[in-house]
This record gives sequence, structure tokens and C-alpha cells, in this order.
Amino acid sequence: MQSKTFSETLVGSDSGLPEPLNNEAVDAGSPDTGPALPRMAGIGAAALATAACGGGGEQTPPTAGAPPVVGAPPAPEVLAPQNDAEASRFLLQAGFASSAPAIAQVSDQGYEAWLDSQMSVPSDGTAYDFFESRGYNEVDSNRYYNITRVADYMVWSQLMSGNNSLRKRFALALSEFFVVSLNGINQVWRSQAIGAYWDLLNQHAFGNFRDLIEDITLNPAMGTFLNTRGNQKADPSTGRVPDENYGREIMQLYSIGLFELQLDGTQRLSGGEPIETYTNEDVTGIAKVFTGYDFDYTDIGFTTEVGGTRQIPDAEYAFKPMTADASRWRFPRNQDFHSSEEKSFLGLTIPAGTNASDSLTLALDHVFNHANVAPFFSKQMIQRLVTSNPSPAYVQRVASVFENNGSGTRGDLGAVYKAILLDDEALDPSGVTNPGFGKLREPILRFVQLGRTFGMRSISGNWAIPDLADTASELGQSPLRSPSVFNFFRPTYFPTNSVTSDNNLLAPEFQIVDETSVAGYINLMERAVNTTTFNFSDVELDYSEEVAIADDSLALVDRLDLLLTADQLSADVRNTIQSAIDSVAIGNDDDRLRRVHIGVLLTMASTDYLIQK
Amino acid sequence: MFIGKNSELSRRAFLRRSSQLAAMGAASSYAMGLAGIGEAAAFSSAGGYKALVCIFLYGGNDHGNTLIPFDADNYASYSSIRGGGGAQEGGGIALSRASLANTVLTTPQDQALTDGITYALAPTMARMKSRFDQGSLAPLLNVGPLVAPMTRAQFDNGSVPAPPKLFSHNDQQSTWQSSQPEGALSGWGGRMADLAQSSNTNSMFTAINASGNAVFLSGEEALPYRVSPSGATLVRPLDRNRLYNSSDAASALDTIMRSASGHVFAADFVDVNNRSLEFGAFINDALDNSTVNTDFGSENALAAQLRTVAQLIGARGSVGVTRQVFLVGMGGFDNHDGLIGQHEGLLSQLDFAMDAFYQATQELGVADQVTTFTASDFGRTLASNGDGSDHGWGGHHFILGGAVNGGRFYGRAPHVSVDTADQVGRGRLLPDTSVDEYSSTLAQWFGVSQSELPSVSPNIGRFASPDLGFMQPS
Repeated sequence: MQSKTFSETLVGSDSGLPEPLNNEAVDAGSPDTGPALPRMAGIGAAALATAACGGGGEQTPPTAGAPPVVGAPPAPEVLAPQNDAEASRFLLQAGFASSAPAIAQVSDQGYEAWLDSQMSVPSDGTAYDFFESRGYNEVDSNRYYNITRVADYMVWSQLMSGNNSLRKRFALALSEFFVVSLNGINQVWRSQAIGAYWDLLNQHAFGNFRDLIEDITLNPAMGTFLNTRGNQKADPSTGRVPDENYGREIMQLYSIGLFELQLDGTQRLSGGEPIETYTNEDVTGIAKVFTGYDFDYTDIGFTTEVGGTRQIPDAEYAFKPMTADASRWRFPRNQDFHSSEEKSFLGLTIPAGTNASDSLTLALDHVFNHANVAPFFSKQMIQRLVTSNPSPAYVQRVASVFENNGSGTRGDLGAVYKAILLDDEALDPSGVTNPGFGKLREPILRFVQLGRTFGMRSISGNWAIPDLADTASELGQSPLRSPSVFNFFRPTYFPTNSVTSDNNLLAPEFQIVDETSVAGYINLMERAVNTTTFNFSDVELDYSEEVAIADDSLALVDRLDLLLTADQLSADVRNTIQSAIDSVAIGNDDDRLRRVHIGVLLTMASTDYLIQK
Repeated sequence: MFIGKNSELSRRAFLRRSSQLAAMGAASSYAMGLAGIGEAAAFSSAGGYKALVCIFLYGGNDHGNTLIPFDADNYASYSSIRGGGGAQEGGGIALSRASLANTVLTTPQDQALTDGITYALAPTMARMKSRFDQGSLAPLLNVGPLVAPMTRAQFDNGSVPAPPKLFSHNDQQSTWQSSQPEGALSGWGGRMADLAQSSNTNSMFTAINASGNAVFLSGEEALPYRVSPSGATLVRPLDRNRLYNSSDAASALDTIMRSASGHVFAADFVDVNNRSLEFGAFINDALDNSTVNTDFGSENALAAQLRTVAQLIGARGSVGVTRQVFLVGMGGFDNHDGLIGQHEGLLSQLDFAMDAFYQATQELGVADQVTTFTASDFGRTLASNGDGSDHGWGGHHFILGGAVNGGRFYGRAPHVSVDTADQVGRGRLLPDTSVDEYSSTLAQWFGVSQSELPSVSPNIGRFASPDLGFMQPS
């Protein structure tokens, strides 16, 4: 299969479009690596090969019967950044923002050691801590038990401030895979409920997938969101059968997906056709497992609402796993609502009469051990952190770590996170100039990067930043506010009728790009950069280091280029930004601040920034 | 300039037209001289302006509580299956019979529905009952995606292929909109737009999305243009020509928004920026000169989208279009729980919004020229899961407009049952009418010629007729 250069594909040529590249294409050995394991370079090497061979590189299809690469990944070829740009680039893949001190640290320690030290930093505050400390767990005339905005405040405070930013970064990615949305959890203390969910994602972010999926299953917010809470066993007399919502989505979205996959994330085919992983019978069967659960009200006190008689439970109920022991419910029962039928799904049969806890263990073990989980999960995490179109080999290396972290453990999320970031495909600087590598930064990450780069702080301590999901006037996306269980964008989305689709690439984040949202983003950032309007009245940014060099427009552009884009601004864009900065004469510090605002906004409006390479 | 062949409506031509648009200034309404000499064989724009408006109900609308059997026997079956024990008071997820008394739809004399069913609309859809009585609303019964006509036996033994990934939200949304699961490259609304573009002076406004990115309006060539409920969103600093009090900075922003590096994604992102910048002021100017007095209420997101659609239709002369396809949507229909209560609220909003929109088309004098229709991921189970229903397949939908042959039923009413041959388990309907027949009927009214129908509705060749008859002959 021939590879083609992308340079002819810019700005909408269609006739004369080169043959699209296929993700499955392989290079028999990239030109610049040494004795490393054979690398299926996908897009990357193809572009390089073309550059070397002048339009028509050679690619060899994989040899039939070649053994798959399994087991421990190769040692990373690059141990430490070779320059500040590489360091900054790594920081922006691993976390939310770059900074001069962090660049120095990672340059000094090397990638892996720096990751290890950052990943082990203890948390300086959970969602629960936030609600407690701000008084949002109180039953008073504010009726915090019935509002959502304090959850927005909480998650912005988590993303914008505090330590543990790598863990939070990965937790945000997990929240877009194991989706629960504040928009869909109509229960008392719903803000606290989503806070509890956020806390559990953080708790397990560098732990184990098996523990995570169990806690997710029993989490009250998830119980409300996908109807496990209150789901009852079948009643033949009325024809009622268990709700299938969680049973379906735990398979379709949270573990195995719709089609059988190879370890490298590509589909298995049977007679040329993809193979469905489950049928509707499997959904009906597994749905029986998730029956008989409700909120655990043990040790939960009640407070009478202000101005009424309703009894409001303590917010802590939302932080306790649901229970199938009906004696512990708010209105205790001495019945069992768990299905005692035989439960058959995915080739497993749980015998009739198996209790809730054992059924859950057997079901989750079975799902966890399905061959699809490693590639299905790993590929999407790569998409959230590094690139929308990882090569199959990259997926396979990471999926292999999911299957075995090197010490015999399956599902080690911390190991998966490291494998994604330390992989050569992520670190190799050639990715910066590869026209098909990288991803469109999602709006949440752009806004959080602004906050963390410039030391955002809350004036009141409440972090009163609201839901910013409105498309026309805001970001078009807000954390924990997905419009459905399918997140703001699908992992396999691509814009139709585009250069992306012409090249057979995926671009999930483009699902929320349209003529309205691109304008809404600029308008939002205009106000965010200088924290004007009511959306940002409780926060301020610290540009003191930038103001200090603002007289020197080149130095200012250099700094913003390094911190915001890892030096990915093109020369033309740099010049445009520098001229715009220079157009503001310097009379005083207000002018210097305006020069900084202009530099920041123009940088973050550029596709050189928006596309993270 | 001849814009006959679809292939010439490439992105390059698109951008070329847009730069011409900009060069002539965007401050006032005018027409661009792109006389379209269309392929007369493929599409007819006779009959003046026409618009199709798709209302997509995201989540899978519970058809069982949208059109409810009201006659005694069938109501009893409904009540029994839905957990009401067969009683008239309902219960479980069955609505009470008394609540349906005001929305009963009289079956026309010349029609006899399955098992003598008489339907009532949901209690909160009284306005649509009025439209049915007036002949403007047509229910289409048990419609869903099919690759080919299929019996229960064929479904069970796999001898006829079923659409892939049934019961999966995202895939069925895509299948409804395009006849393909997630990953489809075009939708049938967009494919109609492909054929209609050449009839439009300003073809970039053929497909208008007031909802969110969905494949429905993507064509082989046509690109949907996105508006918000308040119209086009302008980039404020460019509109004011001042960014942080600097017009030089505003110019720089304009330059930067239009420049792409060598990256594939950058090229596509800049395309969207360009369209946003080129067309925003033009569209808002057209909307400013378009008055729609009909009250669309407040706190109704669907109504807000439809108001913008109505204003755009009112501005069609300025916008420069003769044929348009619109997409609006509302979510929340995945009623696995809380069906009673929540669902009626959603249908109430739908009822209000559809009626307001119809009134607006009357106000604008285009009631016969605008056809609105509903669609959804799927119907749902008839059987209950306790307090809701689960994912289904076939469902009931509605077509509304002055050109609709309303006041009568289309499609075949399903038995009120969980085990007849038109069910695939728990009362999930095996569709009797296909989405392709639905879309081809709309397409023909819209102007798509018989020979071009398969390009819009790819499976239509396997069905008996491409015309279900719910549109009046033009």
C-alpha cells in the first residue's frame, strides 16, 4: 500500500487527493530506529518514509503468521527531554499545564522518575472536603441538597487548583469513558453525588480497573444515572423484567464495546465481517445481576428542611456504596429484591439462587477478564491523552500493559497511564511535524490550561465558575456535564466531508466543532483571559511573570509559545502575535497587561495551539 | 457559473463562493449571482420554496405511551402488559384510560386498524390531536430501520439481514439518519441537500443544523451550517473590531483564525472558522429583517430551535434559498425509569413546539411548503421494567404540515402484544414500514426524482413502493 504525503491535502482539495492512509498499514521497519522491536508505525513512519523517498514510500503488509508483540513494552528510547520544548510537550500530555519549574524538574529527573514522583503525591483535597469546607453539605435555606451549581464549583476547583494534577488529569479522562452526568442524576444532594463519583475516579485512577468498575457499579450517582438503584428482579405476574440500562452500557461503553477486537484495537473479522461481542440476550442476562440495590442509609441522620417538613438525609449517603441488604435502606424491607434466576451472559452462567454479592463478583470478574477490555479501554485513554489515531502497535503495547503490568497484575491503571505517556509514539518529537498525529484539545482542557498556567485563584474560595457547556456563549463542554452517557464526543467520530475523513482518520473532539461553537469559544476565552463577566467574577489570574517581560514582545511570545504550545506555534503565527502585541504602546502596567492578554488570547485561538501535537 | 454536477460543489468551490460573499460585504441582504442550472433529471425545484424539518427525539421515544390504544379491548391489553393489571385506571407504566379521553383520534371511515384499535395521543398532546382533526398531522405507525422487508421468522433465523447494532443508541441514531451505523459518511437529509443545492442561490445554507453535530445533514458534498437558538454566533471582538481595546489585535485574531498549519485537523478546524466568520453576519442580518410573531413560549429548548428555523424560513429570500433541510432535536427520551411523569412532560414540550412552529408557517404563508417530521433512535419495549421501558426498534412517528395528507393513519398498527409475529420480544416492534420508505416519501415531495431516490434512501429498491402516500400530490 502506498503512502502519501499530507502536504497536498491542505484546505480542501478533493480531486487529486492522495490515496488515504490506512491505520493498519505497516512499515517493515522505520528508517531511524535501531534494534527495537518491530514497530508498526502507522501514520508516523509513512509520512517520514514519503519525505525520504519523495512521494511513494514503501510499505510492507504484515507478514502472515508473524507473532504478535505481547508482554512487557520495550524500554522507552528517550529517557529525558532533550530541550525545553520536549519537556513542555510531555507535561501537556501528562497533565493540565506546563511551567518553568516543572520543565526544569522533568528535564532533571527524566520522564519516568518525574511521573512516579508526581503520581505518588497525596491528595490535598477531595470533592467531599470541598463541600464540607465551603458549607455546601449543610441543610439550610440555600437548599444545597437540591442544586447542581456547587458541583460545577467543586470540579472546577479540583481541575484548576491543588496538587495531584496528573491524577486529576487521568480522572477527567476516566470521567469521559465511565460517563455519569450531573444533568442526569435527579436525587437529593446531586452535587455531592457527582462529587462522590469524582472522588472514586480519583481514588482508583492509578489503582486497578477491577476495583474501579466495582465501585462504579455500586456508586449512588451511577445507580441513579443508569437505573441500577431500585432495579428489581422480574415479576412474572406483571411481566416486569429488570431494567437493562446499566447491563447494556457496562458492556457497550465501560468494558468491551460492540465488536471483538484484537489486542491492537483493530477488529477481529469472521468471513470479512466484524463479530458482535454481545447479543440482546446477554443484555437481558447481565441485567439480572444489577438488581436489588438501593442507597445504604446506615448511620445516616436526617435534618428537617428549612421552611418545610421534608426530612433531608445527610449528604454522606451519596458517598456510600449501594447495598442489596434491604434492611439498610431508608425504608427497610425484609425482602430480597435481587434476582434469584439463573443469569447467563457472555458465555458465563451464574447459577440460580446466587446472591447479589456473589453474582456481582462473578459478573465483574468475567467482564474484566474479557479479551476486549485491554484494547477497548487503552485505545480510548491514548485518545484522551496523546493522539486520536494511535497506531495499532501503540495500542497493543499499552493494552499489553493492561493485561500484565510486568508483575503479573491485570488492570493496573497507573501502569497503563505511564505506558501511554512513556511510549515512543508519544515522546518521539517527529510527532510534532506529523500531519496526522495528535488531537484537537477539548475545550475543558484549553480552559483548565489557561487557569493552571496563570495561577488562577478563587477570590471567595468557592471557585464559583458555573456550568460552561453552552455552545453559543461558553465552552460547549463542561466537566461532569455530558449531555448523555455517550460523553460530549464519541471515540470513533470524524467530521464528514473533510480532510480528516478523506485520510481515514478519527477526530473525536471534532464532534463539538461547528460554526457556533468555534465563535462561542473565542468569546468565552476573551472574557476568561482577563476574567471579566459574571462567569469569572470569582476568579483572577496571575500574569505577573508575563507582565515583567511584556516590554519585550519577542520574549513574551517565546514564553507563551513554550508554556502553552510547547513551541508549536508556526513562524507566521508568532509574527502575527508579536506585531499585535507591539501595536499596544507601553505607558504603564495596564498596557503591559493588555499586551499579555492579547498574546494569550491570540495564541489560544491559533490552530497551532488548538491541535496538540 | 454552471453548478450542475455535485462533484463541482467541492469544498474549494464552497470557499470560493464564501470569499465572494465576503468581498461584496455582508451588511445587507442580497443575492449572489450563482445561477444554478441544475440537473433537471435529478431534482425538481418546481412549486416554489420547500423545507423539510426533522425533529429528532434523542434517547428512543416510548411509542407505547405516545399513541395509546383507547378502545376497551386493546386498552385492557395495553394496561396489562404495561403493569396496570388490565385495569382502566392504569398503573405501572400504563396511563389511565380516563386521561386519554380528550386526545382520541377518530379513525377515518375508510380505514380499519389492526384488531380494531382506536388510538389516543398522549394526554399532553392535545394540540397535535387538533392538527390531526384538521388534516395537517399524519401518524406513521411502526416505522424503523430495515435493510429489506422482514418477517419474524426471517429475523430469528437471520435469513434476511437486520440493521446492525440494533438497540444501541448511537448506532441507531446514525442508522435512522443515514441507513448506516456509527461511522456513516452521510445522512439522507444531507443527500437530499446534495441534490437540492444547485437550486439555491446560496447553496451553503441548504442544510441548517439548529441542534448539534449529527450525520443527518451531512451530504456527499453538502455541509450543514450550524445556528444556535439566537441565530448565528458572531466572534465578538471581530464584530466590534476591537480585541482588548486594540483593532490591530482584532485584525490579528481574524488572520490567525483563518490560518492553518500543515496538520490535517488544522485544515478542518479552519474550514469551520471560515464558514463561521463568513456567514455569521449575513445570516444575522437576514434574521433581523425577518419577523415572526407567533409565540414560541420560553423554557422549551425545542421551541427555541424551531423559532430560529421559522425566522430563517421567513428570511429565505434574503438567505437566497429555494430548498432547505433543517435539523432540530430534543433529548431525554431514554426513559428506562420515570416514564410516567417525565415522558408526558417531554411530549408536552414536543406538542407545544410543533404546534407553534406550524402556526408560524401559517403566519409566514408557507404552511403548505414546510413539512415537519419526527424521528428517534428507536421505539421501546411495550413491557415494563418496573418504572420504565427499555430499548426497542420500531416506533410511531408524526408528519405535520399543510401539504400532509393528515387525519388518517399510515403504516400498519401493531398488535398490542408481547408475542405476536410483529414483536421481537417484550413488545419490541419489528418494523412494518422502513425508514427508507419514510425518507423516500419525504424526498419525493421535496423534489427528488424517482431515479434519484436510491441515492437518498439506499434500501428503497427492496420495498414495494417508495411512496407511503402521506403527502398530498403536488
